[in-house]
Amino acid sequence: MGRKDDREGFWLSENSDRRRIRDAEQARKNRAEINKALSHGQVSRRDLVKWGLFTSAGLMAPIGGLSPFVRPMNAQTSSFSFGTRSGGSGIPTGLPSSPLFGVLPFTQPMPRFDVFQRNPVSSLSPAPQAQANQTQQPLDPALVGGQTGLTGPIEGRPPGAIWAHQRFAQNPPVIGIDASTSPATTNTTYNPQVPSSLNSGINPATPIPLKFHPSMPTQQPNSVWTFNGTIPPKLMLGRYGEPILFRHHNRLPADVTQNNGFGRNTLSTHEHNGHHGAENDGFTGAYFFPNQFYDYHYPFVLAGFTTINATATDPKAGSPNGSGGINKVPGDWHETMSTHWFHDHMFSFTAQNVYKGDAGMLNIYSALDRGNEAINDGVNLRLPSGTTLDWGNLDYDVNLMFSDKAWDSNGQLNMDIFQFDGFLGDRMTVNLAYKPFFQVERRKYRFRMLNASVSRFFVFALSDSSTMVQIANDGNLLPQTVPLNQLDQMGIAERFDIVIDFSRYTIGQTVDLVNLQEHRDGKGPGQILTVSGALSGSSSDPAVGACLRFQVVRDPAVPDQSICPNTPITLIPNPDLSKIPIARTRQFVFDNNANQTQNDPVTSYTGGGNWGIATENTGGSRFSRGGSALKADFGRISSAPKFGTREVWILKGGFNWDHPIHIHFEEGQILARNGSFSNVPQAERGRKDVYRLKEDGTVTITMQFRDWGGMFMEHCHNTMHEDNAMLMRWEVNAAGGVFLNPLPTPIPKPTGVTFQAPDEILTNAF
Amino acid sequence: MQRNIWTRFIGISFLLAGALAILYSRPVLADSRWGANYFPNIELTTQDGKTVHFYDDLIKGKMVAIDLIYTTCQYSCPLETARLAQVQKMLGDRVGKDIFFYSITIDPKNDTPAVLKAYAEKFHAGPGWTFLTGKKEDIDFLSKKLGLYSDPKLSQDGHTPHLLLGNEPMGQWMRNSALDNPRFLSQMIGDFLDSFRNMKPAQGKENTESAAIHLDPGQYLFTKKCGACHTVGQGDKIGPDLVGVTDTRNRDWLMRKIQHPEQLLAERDPITMALAEKYGNVNMPNLRVSDDDANYMIGYLVSRTSELQRQAQAQNAVTKPAGGAGGMARPNQ
Repeated sequence: MGRKDDREGFWLSENSDRRRIRDAEQARKNRAEINKALSHGQVSRRDLVKWGLFTSAGLMAPIGGLSPFVRPMNAQTSSFSFGTRSGGSGIPTGLPSSPLFGVLPFTQPMPRFDVFQRNPVSSLSPAPQAQANQTQQPLDPALVGGQTGLTGPIEGRPPGAIWAHQRFAQNPPVIGIDASTSPATTNTTYNPQVPSSLNSGINPATPIPLKFHPSMPTQQPNSVWTFNGTIPPKLMLGRYGEPILFRHHNRLPADVTQNNGFGRNTLSTHEHNGHHGAENDGFTGAYFFPNQFYDYHYPFVLAGFTTINATATDPKAGSPNGSGGINKVPGDWHETMSTHWFHDHMFSFTAQNVYKGDAGMLNIYSALDRGNEAINDGVNLRLPSGTTLDWGNLDYDVNLMFSDKAWDSNGQLNMDIFQFDGFLGDRMTVNLAYKPFFQVERRKYRFRMLNASVSRFFVFALSDSSTMVQIANDGNLLPQTVPLNQLDQMGIAERFDIVIDFSRYTIGQTVDLVNLQEHRDGKGPGQILTVSGALSGSSSDPAVGACLRFQVVRDPAVPDQSICPNTPITLIPNPDLSKIPIARTRQFVFDNNANQTQNDPVTSYTGGGNWGIATENTGGSRFSRGGSALKADFGRISSAPKFGTREVWILKGGFNWDHPIHIHFEEGQILARNGSFSNVPQAERGRKDVYRLKEDGTVTITMQFRDWGGMFMEHCHNTMHEDNAMLMRWEVNAAGGVFLNPLPTPIPKPTGVTFQAPDEILTNAF
Repeated sequence: MQRNIWTRFIGISFLLAGALAILYSRPVLADSRWGANYFPNIELTTQDGKTVHFYDDLIKGKMVAIDLIYTTCQYSCPLETARLAQVQKMLGDRVGKDIFFYSITIDPKNDTPAVLKAYAEKFHAGPGWTFLTGKKEDIDFLSKKLGLYSDPKLSQDGHTPHLLLGNEPMGQWMRNSALDNPRFLSQMIGDFLDSFRNMKPAQGKENTESAAIHLDPGQYLFTKKCGACHTVGQGDKIGPDLVGVTDTRNRDWLMRKIQHPEQLLAERDPITMALAEKYGNVNMPNLRVSDDDANYMIGYLVSRTSELQRQAQAQNAVTKPAGGAGGMARPNQ
């Protein structure tokens, strides 16, 4: 039996006719009914076996009408199979194909992000404070299993000095942003911050129900949970030297069962990849409950601010001052960052919660990247943006969030929570809109692209294979721009900022953004197709092909003043670390079941093992493999780099997997891929915070540990992997030892956060 | 061939209609999306030889911890099982009441109910923790549905120490490592997945105390890797009390025992064989301990032993009991 036959058996492609999809849904219902009848004792197993509905093993027989993956009306030669690698059954992983309700691609405008209101911090009540606000409030009985009369703190941040905002007095919050994560509702306050002519004609005054397409069903409140409960996704605007207090309310249902099958009602929000104190990092174990808020303090400082340019004299280290000038800030301007995102980081439930909608983006503005293409002060890089505002013009600077989704027969967002090896959706969305179009003028645009998927990698090209200029990687402007006809592979959580010059097209032309990256399962990407191959529709992966259509609609109203030619130009050189000694080299192995062959003599922390991140020596032989890999118990300290030093970390991937590894806290530079700098693509030669290891690949990076202390994380950003142990905690530690001075681990409960020592207790003998 | 399938399908459709007709005559209970319509109700056999159905008898309406094991495992399973025993101890009498543990063998050929029963006893598995075997294909299917399956081609023994924690009526499921901190695992299942049903009002001090903590590397490693089976001075557990072991065994042997226990067993090392006999033939797992870490562990055994001796002497100086060594257990190795 050929591979194709194998797939035919259990893949329902986008092209499946509606009857087949209906059959599949009916099959699912039939299975459920029979199981229920059986469990209620209305029929016996023997009866079912006798009738041929059950195999003697107790499994539902592989026959049409019972399995959503078996064709009832066609000759079917392949045997029933639950997949060979992951237990999955195609795409979407573990689920039947998502119906399209007659919707055709590129029939809805792509909404621009919904910009958070920036208010004076005084608008927040109660006023934010350095230590968590422990004012008590009555607890919803549903939070404590029906108990009444209990109280808990209004803020979910762990209390006390260790979790107080670091350097709060030096960086008092100026801007207050008050937001929530809430069940799906209609948006009546859409604030795209651009005229509707630059938003494909969308009238922001028209209420926006939560739908993936206007002709698809409205999402029920607990099918989708987003910031403020609405679409489009939210955009935070920040600038260096202007601290923001992000007050995040949890307005999710207190009853954990009210989740339409997936999602956890506790939250921890990670500003990816903010250089902030650990108390604001969205530590996976510092989660907060419904009816609580958590105050995140984002000071927006340049890395190195405690040691480099500490008196703020360098104009390149600056922030737009609101009137065409620059406010100088301390720190190293080579560390300037631009495009971040923020998302849930809840222990064990990150994949479900981010997939459910808990993700937004953050643009950070600086003197170098101020979001104004006209100001010519010798510092401003004048990237495509606009000219109306002093900083933060969004006219020609567009955030794009790519994510694959799946929905059930009623159109409600759907996920198989048991696909621990990775979950793939079959429907591509951009800014949570199914395959939209976007109207552009004949000029240059900047696109801030984010891969917000659970397990899907992308490779993007334009349908005419014309040039895109990559200007930033993971939100860091590159040392040199990189013109490309096909972008590099984009792992989960990676951000690529690109510039496309639409002046080469005529009015009325369209050009599509095409995904060339095919997946067969959620463990890692499969083959990369050609543009024509991807557009042909022959891939069995429904997320391959065009996902966003650009419609060229007019000449620019005002001349394009931005600078970004189709040839390389200098943007922000990397900080020169060559003079800083390497304090330590560590090795991390991200692996499921590696055949670890040898110890690496240069490292103190090598290792292999099962799921998880091994950071210890392997004393074993080639074939010894056990449980030495550290698991995701966030109470365990794995590494503690010494404060104020630079280290080299070697990240090793595993056999048959690909892990995009995210290291919190400070940007790293890639020194080598598989041992050589020449293997590092041009577009990866800046600073980064997510590192794709590729199958069995090795990435050598260097990072500094400075400015802030506390507990941070390093993990695989395939959130299904992350949730299942591929995560460890490390701390910046003044003493530099692995075991010394670890911080107590917060244990959040509705009644308040308690602390535990990060070791394991000695138990008494039996 | 085509025709046969057709005929069969039509036949089944009639049967289905019959089955559904029965169903619709009764009120339909609301159930979680991750309930009877998701979990296979396969037949399994307990260590006591009792036949049970996975969904109906084992998980329906319960909070559960499920792992896959095999009793001849030389790698992580023994530690996994010892860890779960610690978790069980911490959860106390809730195990068997509202929380249930299931260890399902992936090697049903060898792991008969009798073998599983002996294995459970070695690890002091208490009531509410059931060891299960069944048909290989059923168990493979079940483990895929639970997200616990490991492809035997991709690992040496086709086993990964995952631990699935779930609350069936609430539809909450999470996969952890069975090697994780037992206290952490017990909180995850006992509080978090139970939606904090047994929450008490917060204690004032506990709520705000967050001083930094100092840990000794040897103690940390001992607790993490050895503490599930051994104590220092608190008596035997699954393996011997290790108080004074550094005086009775030479260092090279100790290093080998810590790093390569399976080699000593294979060589039929006399000390190892005697210990195996005494402690129920539980395989000490190879936990891939590095030289550095093994040295830290031995250092901890030395320092902890002398600390206990000092305490015992101080105690003797005060009370002068007849026994000499105070309350300290004798080395058993």
